[in-house]
Amino acid sequence: MAWLALHLLLIISFSCRDTLRVIAEGPTIFPVPFGNFSRKAQRIISIVLGRELPPFNPVREVGGAYVHAAGIDVGYGYFAPNVPGGYKLVFELHYSNGRTEYELPSVNSAAAGLRIAGLLDSIGRTPYDPIREILVKTLAQSVWRQHPDVKSVRAIVGSVRLPSIREFEQGQRESYEFLYAYDFSLQNDAPKRQDYQREYQH
Amino acid sequence: MKTRLLAFLFPSATDSWLAILRVGLGLQVVLYSLSLRYDWNYLFSGTGRRLAEALLSLESHFIPRLEWPINVGAHVGLHETTVLWVAWTCLLLAGCGLVIGLACRLSAVLAWFLHLCAAKSGGFVSYGMDNFMTIGLFYLMLSPLPDRCSVDWRLRDFRPKSPQLLGFWRRVLQLHLCIIYFFSGLTKCLGSGWWNGSSVWRSLIRPPFNVIDPEILVRWKDLFPVAGIFICLLEIGYPFFIWQRNTRKFWLIGICAMHFGIGLSMGMYLFASVMIVLNVAAFGAALIPLARHRISCPPQEVVP
Repeated sequence: MAWLALHLLLIISFSCRDTLRVIAEGPTIFPVPFGNFSRKAQRIISIVLGRELPPFNPVREVGGAYVHAAGIDVGYGYFAPNVPGGYKLVFELHYSNGRTEYELPSVNSAAAGLRIAGLLDSIGRTPYDPIREILVKTLAQSVWRQHPDVKSVRAIVGSVRLPSIREFEQGQRESYEFLYAYDFSLQNDAPKRQDYQREYQH
Repeated sequence: MKTRLLAFLFPSATDSWLAILRVGLGLQVVLYSLSLRYDWNYLFSGTGRRLAEALLSLESHFIPRLEWPINVGAHVGLHETTVLWVAWTCLLLAGCGLVIGLACRLSAVLAWFLHLCAAKSGGFVSYGMDNFMTIGLFYLMLSPLPDRCSVDWRLRDFRPKSPQLLGFWRRVLQLHLCIIYFFSGLTKCLGSGWWNGSSVWRSLIRPPFNVIDPEILVRWKDLFPVAGIFICLLEIGYPFFIWQRNTRKFWLIGICAMHFGIGLSMGMYLFASVMIVLNVAAFGAALIPLARHRISCPPQEVVP
């Protein structure tokens, strides 16, 4: 009984925390000032759940392991409150003879394709540039393995802008907004990041 | 009050729901493994895995991850790719074990552990389906296995499980599903997109879910607001209407149809199947004629 009460409390707490995060990040049907309240409430729940405790704290360690093991470490707001646009990663492959080819990250099955889409979302959304860099580099390395004669690879990350129904009827299709570009070469493994705003249409 | 609560939490139940959960999740694990057979190493090896595991360690060092078997393998001279192949094979075998009901408990624990390792080590390539598989396998692992439809039951002399214990674990799954749908519906209701149908449109044209040609979809644009509101109401109403005997059938069929539609129209077959399995196991066992009459399982004796 005690276990069930604690288990359900944890599920509800994580769900509430994620719902409050959704409100705080907006836009939702709630007015903007409600976002500040949500941010504070979300923080309080995180503290109660032990998420603000320092690493190696026993409560954080045991609690974290339990919620992950039970699959209750996240809320359930899939595609909510609104459906975000996705992200796209294009590799520009430069050969030593001056030839340039374009390639997308590829996998062997549709099921793995869904996972790559999730990875691209992580690359696009993460606020931490070093993480983004490592993830892009990982994908670039696999492209390199498939094309060993490539001299350098430029990875271009863009966000996908989806047209509304009306825009689609007027002939607009999905467009891409440039976010980041990383240059990789065999000589210099550390990528050079270019970061500027430019819109381009595919 | 306490008596009513105990009666609610420990209702008498047969193990039909557990048989559905075991077979359903077993099939899910098999399909999950097979769908990733060519990409398993690509998705779960190298820098991406190590980065995900490093971030996981900030939360807890006790969360299962592929690093554990890989480190054990390294001690005996096995390469990362070999260990990953062994893990994939074991996961597939555990799924097969669950489907036929052979070594049920071991198969359930193994499937939960290996899937959790993959889901956590591949944190950047995991999505909602992994979360629901973890939930389902976690409850399956703790439930009073084996059920009377399993091979285990036929091979060995198992005593019938307590109906109250079976009822308790089904109740836990039911309550969890109610919380899931309530919050899923609530967060959707917070956005204007689900009320005016734009979220339905966006979810159907967003890569890689754009299975149906948008030129075909746009002809059905008037249905999108109706579908959006219907999904919100279906989800947020789930914890209120699924318990009533007269609305349960409608709600369960509605939710399963919604997941079936999502699977078909967005290519999220595994997501759809795990949700249908969880729902049917939790609330559908008594409604399915197959579970009531046709499964050739030995009759269950009620243990006092």
